[in-house]
Amino acid sequence: MNRRLKTLSAAALLVLAGMSPVFAQNADKTVKIGLIEPMSGNLSSYGQEEEPAFRRVIDDYNANGGVRSLGGAKIEIVVADDSSQPARTAIEARRLIGEGAVILTGSLLTPHMAAISPVLDELKIPALSFWAGASRSDYLFTLGFPYDKGFAGTMAGFIDWLAKDNKFPIKRVVTAFSNYEAGQQVNRALIDRLTKDGFEIVGQVPLDMNASDYTAQMTRIRSMKPDVVVGLVSTRDGALLHQARYNLNFTSAIFVGGTGGYSDPVLWSQLGEKVASSVLTRNLFGMTGYSAAVAPANAKKLASSLKQADPKVRIGQSTFQAAQAASIIIRALEAAGSTDPEKLKEALARTSISPGAPDLYLARAAGLSFGEDRMLKDSTALIIQWTADKQQQVVYPPSFANAAPRNRQ
Amino acid sequence: MRREFYDTLLSPGLWLICALLAALPLFLSGYHLQIVTLALTYAALASAWNIVGGMGGMLSLAHSLFVGIGGMFASALLIRCGINMWVGSLGAAILAAGAGCLVAWIGWRFRLGHLLFALITLAFAEMASIVAMNCEFLGGASGLFLPPDKGRFIAFEFGGMHGTYWVMLLLAAGCIVSNLAVLNLPLGYRLRAVRDNADAAQAIGVPLLRTQVVAMAVSAFLTSIVGSVYARYLSFVDPQLLVSPTLTVEIVLFATVGGLGRPFGPALGALILLPVGEVLRGQFGGALPGLHYFIYGLVVIVVVRFAPRGVLPTINGGWSKFRARRADRIVHAGTNTGVSVTSGAGQN
Repeated sequence: MNRRLKTLSAAALLVLAGMSPVFAQNADKTVKIGLIEPMSGNLSSYGQEEEPAFRRVIDDYNANGGVRSLGGAKIEIVVADDSSQPARTAIEARRLIGEGAVILTGSLLTPHMAAISPVLDELKIPALSFWAGASRSDYLFTLGFPYDKGFAGTMAGFIDWLAKDNKFPIKRVVTAFSNYEAGQQVNRALIDRLTKDGFEIVGQVPLDMNASDYTAQMTRIRSMKPDVVVGLVSTRDGALLHQARYNLNFTSAIFVGGTGGYSDPVLWSQLGEKVASSVLTRNLFGMTGYSAAVAPANAKKLASSLKQADPKVRIGQSTFQAAQAASIIIRALEAAGSTDPEKLKEALARTSISPGAPDLYLARAAGLSFGEDRMLKDSTALIIQWTADKQQQVVYPPSFANAAPRNRQ
Repeated sequence: MRREFYDTLLSPGLWLICALLAALPLFLSGYHLQIVTLALTYAALASAWNIVGGMGGMLSLAHSLFVGIGGMFASALLIRCGINMWVGSLGAAILAAGAGCLVAWIGWRFRLGHLLFALITLAFAEMASIVAMNCEFLGGASGLFLPPDKGRFIAFEFGGMHGTYWVMLLLAAGCIVSNLAVLNLPLGYRLRAVRDNADAAQAIGVPLLRTQVVAMAVSAFLTSIVGSVYARYLSFVDPQLLVSPTLTVEIVLFATVGGLGRPFGPALGALILLPVGEVLRGQFGGALPGLHYFIYGLVVIVVVRFAPRGVLPTINGGWSKFRARRADRIVHAGTNTGVSVTSGAGQN
């Protein structure tokens, strides 16, 4: 009986401890930023890639004197885990705002962005998403690629450029995409754009994200005799798709896709040396937001510094998306000279980072600034091709290209 | 309807708890209010599931399908056809009840045991998820955005956090009252008879098919209504959010921990476990990823270890023992002093 009572008391204390208010510490000297990340659940790879980069940029800034316009105030990051569930994102947003966060940020993929938007509108707190494909709140800005202009625009533009400027014989197109929210949206936009550009869509192949083998889907794709296979594919689905392509020795079509499933560095180890060197380097082009080949010097420095601190840390697109968000928030705080949410929102809207600026981590020819829709004005991504030594060369857009696209093999 | 139903319904303690819960938004912060709203959502869902899972012993894993119908179909009717969401949610609930009848009929027609019934219902939910992912009308995998909640009650808008909380409280109360009603109706007796021994129940004249179909229809109808309000609360619906096996597992977990087959058990389970999970995530989620799941798991193990029949039956059992001991002491004291005392526990 005593043991039961003790256990129950301990559980009650645990709950009470959780419910107790968290008092602001050093409120005069710190500015709180709420970082909502999927640290657990099926999207946890985002959180684990983004959190160290975000923290590094903020820590470096704090070490250099903090926010000058706020008298050297230090930025304090309060991390919240939404368990990859949108309903929990909204709950965590309220908690962080209640604890004094003046701005929220984090992965905030589109469903999470949708869930958090009513909270932002109600409490009038600005937020910056790393990845949302749209904004549903006046207070939410995003660095994500818009499904149409960003993802589909880049991929369709590249295929058109291959066919018209590089004389690749392309007519028949099959779309193959991970069957989830972004995959479907990008697929629709791709079909619209490619049809307008005069290509013939001969089939659509959604990839079931729970499947463990895509041989059947690849057989179907092969039967349609496409010149190009295109679509947004997750990293896991990409590995399965390329494995199936290798198994069936299907090499005649050109594969163009984004993002993780075609250009994530982890693909090479997932597929193994033999398969990867055979399929990734042959008739395959991947869309990405970041490539070491053309990354700004600051991004390269950040990557090596993170690797030095923790050799196991994963460096990928999300790393630089997070670092970029951190630097934008720093700029907004400096420009606002205040922690007033309305002033921070206005400062975010006015943010402009010119090409070559030391805090530009993403490769953008025209720099970074937000449009009326609170999305980046320049959302062009890069298209890469793999080399046999596991490196990537940028082939598109021409302003960033450091190699010409390899001919169809 | 048995008298116990009205006695429970008119109990002052119950009304006091309702009044306290209704007043919570006046005291709680937005964060805590949102947690309680989510807990009430799960309390309603677990109570609705309890009608088939707890009282009827039918381990249905198809309830995410009913939540999905309520959330996605009602939202699609509003977005695609401009149909008022009150009408849409009612239509979706009728559709969900129909789907529930079909599931129950399959279980009866093929005389499926508990395990097979669970697997069949899981398969139904998975099929529904795939259909929803690829159905343009329902928004596909991209989902649907509902218009902002401007508090127009006629348009199924409840005015933000406070309004949604009160509506969810009403729904949770409605689901618990439905449990009470079923328990005290002939349907409740039949369900329990079928749960304990279907063959014996049928032999004494319990209509197996009708009993299971009615229970499943009521449960699916209630679940779908909760799904519609949940969709309005989130302002966004997609299959991964609503037609998800995780949702069903949570519902079953809450109901089991609270006390299967008891009218108040599943709601109690949700009202205890969900806030514990949320608070643990809030405190530890950002520091060490996954630690909150670990602690949550430990809490569930502790609860199951010390209350294997569920929290509510354990509390009830403890309370009964306490009263019996007290009555014994009074009787002893009366015997020693020569005064005749009647046990209070016996009168109840």
